[in-house]
Amino acid sequence: MSDPEFKGRVEELIRDNQVLLFMKGTPEAPRCGFSMRVVGVLEQLGAEYGALDVLPALEPLREATGEISDWRTFPQLYVNGELVGGCDIVEEMFESGELAKLVGVEQPEDAQAPEAERILPGGSQQSPPMQLG
Amino acid sequence: MADLAEIERLIGEALPGSEVEVIDEAGGDHLRAVVTAPQFEGLSVIDQHRLVKAPVQHLMDDGTVHALSVKTSVSG
Repeated sequence: MSDPEFKGRVEELIRDNQVLLFMKGTPEAPRCGFSMRVVGVLEQLGAEYGALDVLPALEPLREATGEISDWRTFPQLYVNGELVGGCDIVEEMFESGELAKLVGVEQPEDAQAPEAERILPGGSQQSPPMQLG
Repeated sequence: MADLAEIERLIGEALPGSEVEVIDEAGGDHLRAVVTAPQFEGLSVIDQHRLVKAPVQHLMDDGTVHALSVKTSVSG
């Protein structure tokens, strides 16, 4: 059972950010390949996003997101308060143009889900990585 | 090390009538499940993924499976 106050903070983060990524590590230093790929997609979109490193509170965050969205794995991308999904869904929606539409930005020409080696994080992301607690 | 056959069985039992293939993408704990099932009809992609992940969530929680990427399609 997720602590109600903690869960409330997580829900607040989801509400307060149009695009919110729960990831392992930070956009500048991702700690997992899937998280890195989602960051790469967001950088290509050029959208502003908030990022939360789940590693310092992995179990509490799994419980909280499990209760909020019935989803317990990371990375998780939320747009407009709703869970979009993990890396595989994000990449599919990016290539199809659905993600750009959802976020409200122009679909980049030549949109392609980046391969791990080509990622250069730290591009147009505006918000600094945030922390809970 | 995750048992691919076991994971296929768990998903297959949770989705009767489905075709399930689980592939090892990187040394045993990064897996890919490709699932075609009639139960996906009318569901959003994310709900389809939830149906695949639910029967194996315990293996992700205990670390047996570090990552599971999912690809779904509707059968029939």
